[in-house]
Amino acid sequence: MRWFIINMLNGVSYGMVLFLIASGMSIVLGAMGITNLAHGAIYMVGAYVGWTIAVKWGATFGLGLLVGGLSAGLVGLVIERGLLRHLYKQPNEQVLLTFGFVYILSNLCLWVWGGYSKAPFTAGFLDSSFEMFDFAYPKARLSIILIGLLLGAGLWWLQDKTRLGAIVRAGMDDKETTMGLGINLEKAFAVLFFISSAIAGASGVIGAQLMGVDTELGMSVLLLGLIVIIVGGVGSIQGALLGGILIGVLDAFGRAVFPQFAMFIMYVTMIVVLIFRPTGLLGRKI
Amino acid sequence: MNVVPYVIGILILLIVPLFLSTYWIGLVTRFLIFALFAMSYNIVFGYTGLLSLGHAAFFGTGGYVIALLHLHYNVNLFWISLPLGVLVPTFTAALFGLIALRVSGIYFLLVTFALGEMLYSLAWNVKWLNSRGMQGITGITLPDLAIPGFTMDRTWYYYLVWIFFITSCILLNRLVRSPFGTALVGIREDESRMKAVGYNTWLYKYLAFVISGAFAGIAGMLFSYYNYFVSPKHLGISTSFLPMVMAIMGGLGTFLGPVIGALVFIFVENFASIFFPQRWPLMLGGLFVVIIMFAREGIGVYLWRILKKVERRFGSIKS
Repeated sequence: MRWFIINMLNGVSYGMVLFLIASGMSIVLGAMGITNLAHGAIYMVGAYVGWTIAVKWGATFGLGLLVGGLSAGLVGLVIERGLLRHLYKQPNEQVLLTFGFVYILSNLCLWVWGGYSKAPFTAGFLDSSFEMFDFAYPKARLSIILIGLLLGAGLWWLQDKTRLGAIVRAGMDDKETTMGLGINLEKAFAVLFFISSAIAGASGVIGAQLMGVDTELGMSVLLLGLIVIIVGGVGSIQGALLGGILIGVLDAFGRAVFPQFAMFIMYVTMIVVLIFRPTGLLGRKI
Repeated sequence: MNVVPYVIGILILLIVPLFLSTYWIGLVTRFLIFALFAMSYNIVFGYTGLLSLGHAAFFGTGGYVIALLHLHYNVNLFWISLPLGVLVPTFTAALFGLIALRVSGIYFLLVTFALGEMLYSLAWNVKWLNSRGMQGITGITLPDLAIPGFTMDRTWYYYLVWIFFITSCILLNRLVRSPFGTALVGIREDESRMKAVGYNTWLYKYLAFVISGAFAGIAGMLFSYYNYFVSPKHLGISTSFLPMVMAIMGGLGTFLGPVIGALVFIFVENFASIFFPQRWPLMLGGLFVVIIMFAREGIGVYLWRILKKVERRFGSIKS
């Protein structure tokens, strides 16, 4: 039972990081139709900036989280305003463009922060165990679960309850009419892209509590995000949440039961989902 | 069709080793291998319009077949390696095609990417797929053709690659000019219309994917002999990126575009890795972004236009 609870918590906390990664990608993909392959690289930028502030300069973890998120958001905004917006309605070119940025950002990070990977770090007050009866569990991981739930709720609210969400959904269905109604869709898209990138950067700092930071993250995080989106379904927060937690939990139990093949579990899950439900578990028809 | 430029190109490639040092012969060999790889990718992306991010899966599989035959069975006879080196990647493509073509559009890209990375992590983690104490398989030697009195060296290997390259060019050219190739372009332009006309578009896409995988496998097989070493990264995204850059740079959906793209890429890569080895990925990414933003037709198409202009001014080179 104790074994079960610990693995379950490991899985859910890892799954929450996956959810954080995938949610930002999924919003942009669902609402703007852009597959942002640079999402993993933007995550990495956020993680490095967070590390610089929280570890190198010794400031608080919260400040690292904030500045990491904002700087990643800015990187995303520059890519969107500078280049991507000239390519709307050309999905292949958009995807390829963002993929170029994986190389650019990865190499820039290597240049600035060097090739040595940074060890996981966390906030001072989270750097201990939560104890109840004879049961102990790292607080950092529990905080990830909490942050994930809060962010999920926030994004769901943004998507379904706010003016921005309504504008974006309307713009997806009928761009001409929405713009004809006098709504500045470009501005909404820019804001959305900024939010998505900022979430990526913040999840980079949050994820660094488990995985540390290295220059390969641009690709590996991208891969994780894509698999979660394929499994959960495109364009909905709920799908990203379900996909992330499912993959996280299966991965944790896989690591515990047959460690050598644990990393294939996510691929197998993906293939099974594709065979039986190509739209993803909670996806709309694609 | 004006064949003179093609004949000139083939002849140049035929006599070029006579004037070059071993290093440069190696570089030209590399160019031919990657040109073939990029051409195979062009069938899938350029002609059929399927954006795949996992094409190295078949390239790497071809290379691994050769390497594994070496490592575990001590087989270096080309006439055994060749059929296996073509069949295994083709089979892999047939399998991956079934999974990846469950979805369409941008999602096809996500699935091919993940499948390629799956092979990467398989090659990384399974002991049988690695030489002892390292990642990847080393110690591959040039193929043995079993012709008495003949020893294979780098120059002869260049000619072997040349034969494969020319043969593949002819086959692929036949393919894209056939009704099948025309149907692929039709699917790229408007799939629902092709469906309405009565084509089984899924089957066409599937066959294009498998054929392209087979040629990528041949390129990978030739590459592993050339490189003496295969590593998991030859199955993953960083290798899948290369034919994509080459095909886009040279001109997607044109027959010789990928070859021109590969030519430019291999030589730029060579000089960049001598002078700025650390910053090469940055330059590659920057170059790629510039091409996507400003030269989406590909430089091959620009060169072609310049050639046409020259022809108009000074008369055709046909006569």
